[in-house]
Amino acid sequence: MRILVVEDEPKVASFIRRALEEESYAVDVCADGASGLDWAQMVNYDLIILDLMLPGLPGVEVLKRARLAGVKAPVMILTARSEVDQRVKGLDAGADDYLTKPFAIEELLARARALLRRAGGAPTGILQVDDVVLNPVTREVTRDGQRVELTTKEYAFLEYLMRNTGRVLTRSMIAEHVWDLDFDTFTNVIDVYISYLRNKIDKGREHSLIHTIRGSGYMMRVDE
Amino acid sequence: MNNASIRVRLTLWYGSALALILLLFAVALYLVMSRALREQVDASLDEASAVAIRTLGEHRFGPFLIFEDLSQDFPEIALLDKFFQIFGPAGQVTIQSSHIQSRKIPLSQTAFRAALEGRSTFESVKFKKGVPLRLYSVPIRQGEQLVNILRVGTSLQPTDRMLQRLLTGLYIASPLALLVSLLGGWFLAGRALRPVHAITQAARRIAAGDWSQRIQIPHSNDEIGQLASTFNDMIGRLEVSFKQIRQFSADASHELRTPLTITKGETELALRRPRSAEDYRIVLESNLEEIDRMSRIVDELLFLSRADLGEIKLKMLPVQLDDLVREIHQQAVVLGKERHIQTVLNMVDPVIIQGDDLRLRELLLNLVDNAVKYSQEGQTVELALVVVGKQAKIVVQDHGIGIASENHTRVFDRFYRTDEARVHAAKGTGLGLAICKWIVDVHHGTIELHSTVHGGSCFTVFLPMTSVNAS
Repeated sequence: MRILVVEDEPKVASFIRRALEEESYAVDVCADGASGLDWAQMVNYDLIILDLMLPGLPGVEVLKRARLAGVKAPVMILTARSEVDQRVKGLDAGADDYLTKPFAIEELLARARALLRRAGGAPTGILQVDDVVLNPVTREVTRDGQRVELTTKEYAFLEYLMRNTGRVLTRSMIAEHVWDLDFDTFTNVIDVYISYLRNKIDKGREHSLIHTIRGSGYMMRVDE
Repeated sequence: MNNASIRVRLTLWYGSALALILLLFAVALYLVMSRALREQVDASLDEASAVAIRTLGEHRFGPFLIFEDLSQDFPEIALLDKFFQIFGPAGQVTIQSSHIQSRKIPLSQTAFRAALEGRSTFESVKFKKGVPLRLYSVPIRQGEQLVNILRVGTSLQPTDRMLQRLLTGLYIASPLALLVSLLGGWFLAGRALRPVHAITQAARRIAAGDWSQRIQIPHSNDEIGQLASTFNDMIGRLEVSFKQIRQFSADASHELRTPLTITKGETELALRRPRSAEDYRIVLESNLEEIDRMSRIVDELLFLSRADLGEIKLKMLPVQLDDLVREIHQQAVVLGKERHIQTVLNMVDPVIIQGDDLRLRELLLNLVDNAVKYSQEGQTVELALVVVGKQAKIVVQDHGIGIASENHTRVFDRFYRTDEARVHAAKGTGLGLAICKWIVDVHHGTIELHSTVHGGSCFTVFLPMTSVNAS
């Protein structure tokens, strides 16, 4: 899951990024409205966290233009508690949720999970493919009731695969949703992580769930 | 009465006063009228008696001639419903007018005694039957000897009737007049108080939070008109300061919210799981920085609110301004060291001004600190003090990010920070220049800004001088 944070206060942006990264999301940060708008259109983000008090282009304007340009990602706006009209304007301009500053970091993460869950169409949030179960809240993964230990990146990759079960995911899609802008597309990092995941999920099982689709990418699927 | 409206009270006061006046007037009118009527009756009796006595004297007691003579001489007297009686010296009736033959109207003791002493008497009498009478008894004497007593009488009925009619008129007219003027008073009081009502309504709407409300001022410049315009002035000033306070508290809470968000976020993040000592140290350092920022904001806010309330005591003493500028220059050199920003001291004229050393130091340090803060690495800040006319001119010039001209006036506003300033130096509170402005103001000086975006800023402070040190 890849998240864009548009926040001008560097220290606020910094701790939001670190918190999200700890939850194994890929995070990009923009410090002003104009570049935030550019990035939102450039990259297919899974979630955008947008501060409304931005230098230059105001947050509400960024949101309006992004929606107009066809950005579909769920948007969470950050506002001051007193600015009710700002929240209303933000929600009307296409925001899906809001959070008032100062906020609790756990709440930010929970709301982010909720928005991603809603966008993914899984009401409980718990993802299941065959006997592989992934709980985004506890970030626990089990196969056949047995706990599978994953690194942050492996977890993010698996979550992305499971959210898109039965769909072919190209390398560039995977790069866009699991890694942030620092990712170098020309390396074979994705193939390396696929082999890690196969080792932990499919190795020693009767039927494997992670499939290679020759020439296009990867897919998670239950074989009949 | 205390709860009744002014309108009711005014009307009641007015009504009571009017009722009292009406009563006094009616009583006086009645008394004057009855007295005048009595006097008129008495005068006519006196006149009639004088004629009768004269006639009697001429005819030497020709009793039957009296009326004929009188009628002949004064025909109108006969018509005046008067009667005559002549009593003997013992008080017995000897002769009386024909039309009271049937009645006995004896001489009273008082009148008889007075007659013996030679005095005339007026009496009013009322018998059980018949009309009230006014009687005039005149002694007729020859030498010291009482010969006869002449009495002239007349009915008081016409005068009584007239007084009765007057009284009836007063009974009807007075309450009517009172009622009419009460209604008029009620109406007039209401009319006079209508602007007061309007003021109350406006004040109520303002109390409900609608600050745009104003009272329509009546065209007259009377007491109510003055009240209305004074009220409007007051509301205007209140509206301005209310907006300022609201803006100020909104700004203050916004400025405090950012450091709070950071400390809260950093701390919560750190507590999510066990971390290394180094990680904790970094969080604590960040938090300390934000706590410093908050306490700076709070200190400056407190200073400004105390300044607003006039609670900042100034020690106005002669200050050697050139020495102060040199000291500030030394501090500016230290401030700029880390980012290789040089501070150059240009011309420094010797100047003494009357001022508060501590506040002037704060003013200059703020300006120099800003100049260093908004300069790019390696740039130069210039500092100068010159005498222009009767003013000391302090110039702080930098070559940094500059300020767009549309923001020139607003940079002195509390909490106002340009977007560029926020991006460039996150640590500012947005209160420094507001404090500078206040310090310049209390020294009766002026502060000016010349700046363009990316062209650097030049703050010029003019302070009035007391004397120039020539040495």
